[in-house]
Amino acid sequence: MDRVEYFNSMLVRLEELLYHELSGCAAWKVELVGIDFIQSRKIEGKTEKEIIRQCIKAIVGSGLVKDMTFSIGGKGILLDLRMKGCIHIPKEVRLKKDGITPYLCPVANMILDQLIEKLNYETTYLAKLDVDEVSEECNVKCAIYETPDKIGVVSDWTEDMKQTMK
Amino acid sequence: MSDILEVIRTRKSIRRYKADPIPDEILDKVLEAARWAPTGENYQPWRLIVIRNSETKEMIGDLAKLGSGSRMTAWYCLGEMQRRFEEIQDPVRRVEVLRFMYSGEVSEFAKQAPVIIAVIGTLMEGSVDVPYDLSACIENILLEAHSLGLGACWVHGPVASTRDAAKFKKILKIPTGMGQYKVIAYVALGWPAEARKHPRPKKPLEDIIYWEEFGRKERS
Repeated sequence: MDRVEYFNSMLVRLEELLYHELSGCAAWKVELVGIDFIQSRKIEGKTEKEIIRQCIKAIVGSGLVKDMTFSIGGKGILLDLRMKGCIHIPKEVRLKKDGITPYLCPVANMILDQLIEKLNYETTYLAKLDVDEVSEECNVKCAIYETPDKIGVVSDWTEDMKQTMK
Repeated sequence: MSDILEVIRTRKSIRRYKADPIPDEILDKVLEAARWAPTGENYQPWRLIVIRNSETKEMIGDLAKLGSGSRMTAWYCLGEMQRRFEEIQDPVRRVEVLRFMYSGEVSEFAKQAPVIIAVIGTLMEGSVDVPYDLSACIENILLEAHSLGLGACWVHGPVASTRDAAKFKKILKIPTGMGQYKVIAYVALGWPAEARKHPRPKKPLEDIIYWEEFGRKERS
């Protein structure tokens, strides 16, 4: 067992435990997990795209994720993250195998944290975490709210993403 | 001893309140009921913050709106909210209900409640049952309130996320260390301004009771 495997196996145990204790609410409790890494880096930018790009540069540069892209849609509310070769993929795969839908993405947490910390975003929410264990790719859909009036700005994210992917 | 099953069965969450204040002697009864909740090893980890200040209630209402709205907007955009409310046949009504939910307005009612009781628990006295004790404490509040003719609503979701809980603590000047106090929920309290309709349907006993072992439905 190498160090990465060791830490992922501990995270799996903790996430299973948290889910067992809190059911679906566990996902709402873990938004700060991972942020210490990104807060230790110098992330600067004046727009959300600049901040996100800086975060991705730091994340990929440190080897946490091999390849990472993002797009913004859903009238500016949806931050769609796509990752390949994330260091945490083994934990997500094991959670899925154990019957728990993955709910904690430290990497997405990092980016959401920096939108709040650096651009004073009102709030964010990690809405969906899809893990493909075969291709080792993750798709994370996050809601990002710059101001309170962005709450309630709705659209069909599935359709939005189809348009973005074209 | 009196059978309180009727009190239990007729209670429902009330989210609309009259502006009339709650007299202290009534409020004190509700708080007294909270004090007598079951608690592991008699630790009594609960601490209750009674809020009547309008500005504070306004801030809590805004926070709750934001908490619920941020999640429900995303759920709507993913199609999950529509599935949840597909049983509403009237399309106009359905749209109204969905907007009420994803806008977060559903959780804004703290602003109108004459009293809010924040239920927090100390994590510094050794109790191993804090969330469970606090939940029992809240149930006592709800039942006593209902028995006195008050309406109440247990509000957890809007202050459930780590960041929102921290904001809630800041509003009420609760120490923010993760090892100090746990915010579990608040209870909005007031004289009901909405019809006390029959509570929402509950699952029949045969769907939720097993006898002697998991899955066994025959009464022993």
